[in-house]
Amino acid sequence: MTFDWSIIWQSMGALWQGALVTIGLTVLTMVLAVPLGIVVALLRDSRLKPVSALATAYVELMRNVPIILVVYWAFYVLPILTGVGFSPFLTGLVALVLNNTAYNSETFRSGIRSIRKGQTEAGLALGMSEGEAFRKIVLPQAWRRVLPILATTWVTLFKDTSLVSVIAVGDLAHTALQIRSQSFRVIEMLTAMAAIYWLLGYPQAKIVDWIHRKYGVTE
Amino acid sequence: MTDTLVKLPQGFALPEVVIEYRDVRKQYGEFVALAGVNLEVRRGQVVCLIGPSGSGKSTLLRCTNGLETMTSGEVYFDGMPLSKDPRKTRLIRQRMGMVFQNFELFPHKTALGNIMMGPMTVLGLSEEQARTRAEALLAKVGLSDKAGNYPANLSGGQQQRVAIARALAMEPEVMLFDEPTSALDPETIGEVLNVMKRLADDGMTMVVVTHEMTFARRVADHVVVFANGQIVEQGPPEQIFDAPKTTRTRDFLSHLGWDG
Repeated sequence: MTFDWSIIWQSMGALWQGALVTIGLTVLTMVLAVPLGIVVALLRDSRLKPVSALATAYVELMRNVPIILVVYWAFYVLPILTGVGFSPFLTGLVALVLNNTAYNSETFRSGIRSIRKGQTEAGLALGMSEGEAFRKIVLPQAWRRVLPILATTWVTLFKDTSLVSVIAVGDLAHTALQIRSQSFRVIEMLTAMAAIYWLLGYPQAKIVDWIHRKYGVTE
Repeated sequence: MTDTLVKLPQGFALPEVVIEYRDVRKQYGEFVALAGVNLEVRRGQVVCLIGPSGSGKSTLLRCTNGLETMTSGEVYFDGMPLSKDPRKTRLIRQRMGMVFQNFELFPHKTALGNIMMGPMTVLGLSEEQARTRAEALLAKVGLSDKAGNYPANLSGGQQQRVAIARALAMEPEVMLFDEPTSALDPETIGEVLNVMKRLADDGMTMVVVTHEMTFARRVADHVVVFANGQIVEQGPPEQIFDAPKTTRTRDFLSHLGWDG
């Protein structure tokens, strides 16, 4: 068996493009799934029974179904539901946001619950509304507590974006696998793909470790 | 006649009775926490609520600003009933400061930030105005040098003094204290009680749930003894501590080792 590693250098431009799509997808997913996660967490604890039941059903569905299924579902069902053709990138984004919002909502829910009731009462006693007490007192504290978990979710998400390659989003995985099947340089391309994911992922994992050390709950 | 900041029209005065509890009942399932309490708090008075744990005194205090809902009965503040309408409740809460047993300072804010939060969020003061007010209050509780400290870097007594300043920042008409020294180390209790004593001397209307009998004896104008969700005796401190009329009061005081 002979190897021809030059294929990697020849594909560098395309792989770089793919890596940018992967990073963009990760960032956009998190930018949307964090605030949406907070909203869903609040809906789950809503006093209106149907609202909380609906939010719970959504979270439990997303947590117990493989992401790849959500990706396919978005690809086939979204156009039917909306009557609009989505680009592969947008379809992949919707699927990842749907999945991550569910996880983030659980994260925020546990964070919000970990702030004792007296904190909200202290705000209410000053004359704040429930909403003001939540935004000014509960959320900033919960935020610090959940940051380490969000960071871990981030790294997992970065790798999971590769799942959208099945619907031909031009991300890193899709691009590398595409070059593989055109050039038949299977081992070389898979190795390159692993190397690039690792090089991008490792610093993120280190940052997560640092966040855990800085913000991890010690009390 | 009471001094007020607002010029009131001729012939109009704020009512003498600031808080009135009328047949306040609170039930948790089978457990009766308050079994019909009637009480008046007059302007400028310091009223101490004493009694064994679980006798309902903290529950009554928490009903005063609506942190606890009543099963039945009514609480009036300046003649206005505590309403189900959250906006009116908020307006009433702005005029009642509250100090908690566990301080409940906001850990993500400095001492100064804790005091500034109410005026900025609720009263709409600018950062400048709120800072000026907060600095004056920190000086008043003797903690000017701790303005930049986070609660985690303050002793219990210092945290509770900041909490008092935080409540005062809303310029309330009444201060509610819920066992303000119960979570403190013995050596820091005094500094908190001193701040409260000065507040009382300045004429603040105060309702204090406390186990500090010496404080109640020295500072209170009116002492109310609770047992099993009811008021068993009330009167001036001399009566309660020196010549209690009911066995319940005598039992409670002797249980504490109170010997006058």
